[in-house]
Amino acid sequence: AQNTFSEMMECVFDAQNLISISLRKIQSSRTQRGGIKLHKNLLVTYVLRNARQFYMSKNLSQTQRTHHYEDVSAVRERQDYFELTGSLTELGDDFYCNFTGVESDTWHCGAHQPNGQPAEVPHQDASACAMLSPSDSDLMVSEACWSCADKSSWELPILNAQANQKTVLDLDTHVVTTVTNGYFHSDCCAQSKQPQGAQCYTKKRKMDTSYHIVDPEFYLPDFGPVPFKRMRTDEDLHSDSDQLDSTNISNLISVLGSGGLSEFVSWQQTDLEQIFAAQTICLKHTLLTGSGWTRAIEAF
Amino acid sequence: INPGLVGITEWFLIVLRIADIISTVEFNHTGELLATGDKGGRVVIFQQEIENKNLPQFRSEYNVYSTFQSHEPEFDYLKSLEIEEKINKIRWLPQKNAAQFLLSTNDKTIKLWKISERDKRPEGYNLKEEDGRYKDPNTITSLRVPVLIPMDLMVEASPRRVFANAHTYHINSISVNSDDETYLSADDLRINLWHLEITDRSFNIVDIKPANMEELTEVITAAEFHPHQCNTFVYSSSKGTLRLCDMRASALCDKHSKLFEEPEDPSNRSFFSEIISSISDVKFSHNGRYMMTRDYLSVKIWDLNMENRPVETYQVHEYLRSKLCSLYENDCIFDKFECCWNGNDSVVMTGSYNNFFRMFDRGQRRDVTLEASRENSKPMQVLKPRKVCAGGKRKKDEISVDSLDFNKKILHTAWHPQDNIIAVATTNNLYIFQDKVN
Repeated sequence: AQNTFSEMMECVFDAQNLISISLRKIQSSRTQRGGIKLHKNLLVTYVLRNARQFYMSKNLSQTQRTHHYEDVSAVRERQDYFELTGSLTELGDDFYCNFTGVESDTWHCGAHQPNGQPAEVPHQDASACAMLSPSDSDLMVSEACWSCADKSSWELPILNAQANQKTVLDLDTHVVTTVTNGYFHSDCCAQSKQPQGAQCYTKKRKMDTSYHIVDPEFYLPDFGPVPFKRMRTDEDLHSDSDQLDSTNISNLISVLGSGGLSEFVSWQQTDLEQIFAAQTICLKHTLLTGSGWTRAIEAF
Repeated sequence: INPGLVGITEWFLIVLRIADIISTVEFNHTGELLATGDKGGRVVIFQQEIENKNLPQFRSEYNVYSTFQSHEPEFDYLKSLEIEEKINKIRWLPQKNAAQFLLSTNDKTIKLWKISERDKRPEGYNLKEEDGRYKDPNTITSLRVPVLIPMDLMVEASPRRVFANAHTYHINSISVNSDDETYLSADDLRINLWHLEITDRSFNIVDIKPANMEELTEVITAAEFHPHQCNTFVYSSSKGTLRLCDMRASALCDKHSKLFEEPEDPSNRSFFSEIISSISDVKFSHNGRYMMTRDYLSVKIWDLNMENRPVETYQVHEYLRSKLCSLYENDCIFDKFECCWNGNDSVVMTGSYNNFFRMFDRGQRRDVTLEASRENSKPMQVLKPRKVCAGGKRKKDEISVDSLDFNKKILHTAWHPQDNIIAVATTNNLYIFQDKVN
């Protein structure tokens, strides 16, 4: 059972790594000569979405196990099928890479072994991976680990990640945290710091930190609202709406599009207050000790 | 068509030229001229030595015919955006008179260039002094008509038209219509139709830009006119679809006449499925009955009469499927490989990594991997087929996947329209190979 858990964890790490790499690509594309390549950035968002979909499904299975958070049941409401051809607006959940610093040296899910053959792991169904109750098994029809033969895992819905979950990549500490409805909770990766989990990651890969210089104003405007420059308190929530100056926002980076094209930044059409309200996060102060939010990438 | 044009044959090097990073390669309609465009905005044209063409043991030569700066870097101040001078595509016009014409394009501007020869010059004016100053007209007492005298051949390139300001996004394709009057240009979201004589306006014939850019799901990746039907063109998308459009149907060809799409194989699903299904090139066959598409791992041949799947699929480098994550990280997965047909549509060719390029013989169901490298391309030495070892025990002379050099990529190849002569561009070199005539 531990092997399957570690294989699954590896898959999740692959997804996380892909997410951080993808964000890095989008960021660096802004400074490329010739302007932002629309095609390439669009493809990168597909990888982001695929990885995030996978990651969220795995992450959710972990949160169900912990039973620490009141919002879990709300999060498990069935969502509409998140089609891969969905709009970028649907990606508008704030999404943060989860990167605890425990690296995996393999990019591939456990299924992709160096010799090209799928890993021989016991078939994992949803109940084995996620310890779901049978009534929930229809939500995770087949677990999303690549080793499963049933690749219809791609049909997995995003389980109400939209309104409730945010993930933040802190560029200083490279800590990624997931926030759900204001509750900061460490995700499955942090749990793996337990001895039994750490055994899986004996090989470390040198982490590339060269890309983590980001203007605090940085964000991906098409995918999410204004980033949090600092830890938010309740008082801040109410004053933030004033900060959403559309002029400032339109001056901020337009990630996709032929470089600097205002037509691609559709903020003018967006109800800023509506977005802001949907993305309200109230972070528990105690859970954020030592973590600076000054430089954070908020994706989507 | 050369009757010797069967199968894949054996190849040897005839020209090797160091160049700036080559970004496009194109033979003209007779194959006599080969144009290359590079990252620095320059066009270099080679001309085939055709004196001894009909002799046995014929060995072509391609010599530099003309070199000119087509595009310069520009800066769009309004958008605070630099426009690269890199030549994305060159397309030749069919020859109508003594001069040659080609279209070259960078990301934003298309130019029509006239390449003409001058081998005579006028002499005998009596209007100027020796030092070039004009004489006082009162001192000229006789009328002298200058005569044309031979001179060393000079090839001049002059820009005849500049087609600008019609594309918001990056131009990826141009294609000359068989009517010899119009051409299309395609960027990520739109396709415009131009008349070769008119530069101040173009017709928009395809527009896939959504009303809300946040709903963008695909872009146009390539477009081409049908070789014979002047009303028909095709464009490919980042989602792996082909759309055949008929300009007679409506002014705006947003509705396709035919949609060519192969259902995805669910067992191959990965994080990168969308990327590797994106079509990087589309080419009609010379006979107009087929289309060929190139995506990251394969080449597909489509019959214009069958929309639901390709009639042939060739794996270019399937061994890369398990490496997609690394290839994503180093950006190689975004490489846009081109593909081309030989003169009688029996063989198709495309590039790969490690300076490999691949040929697929459709009739004989054979394929070969060749390498364009200095070490392996001695003059008059036939290229040796290469083999990549995807797994298991590596045989002698095989190359393992892990030792492939992904910096050495062949994105651009071209096949002479009539002869077995191919042009292959590595990063910094242009290779021209000819088949071995027995």
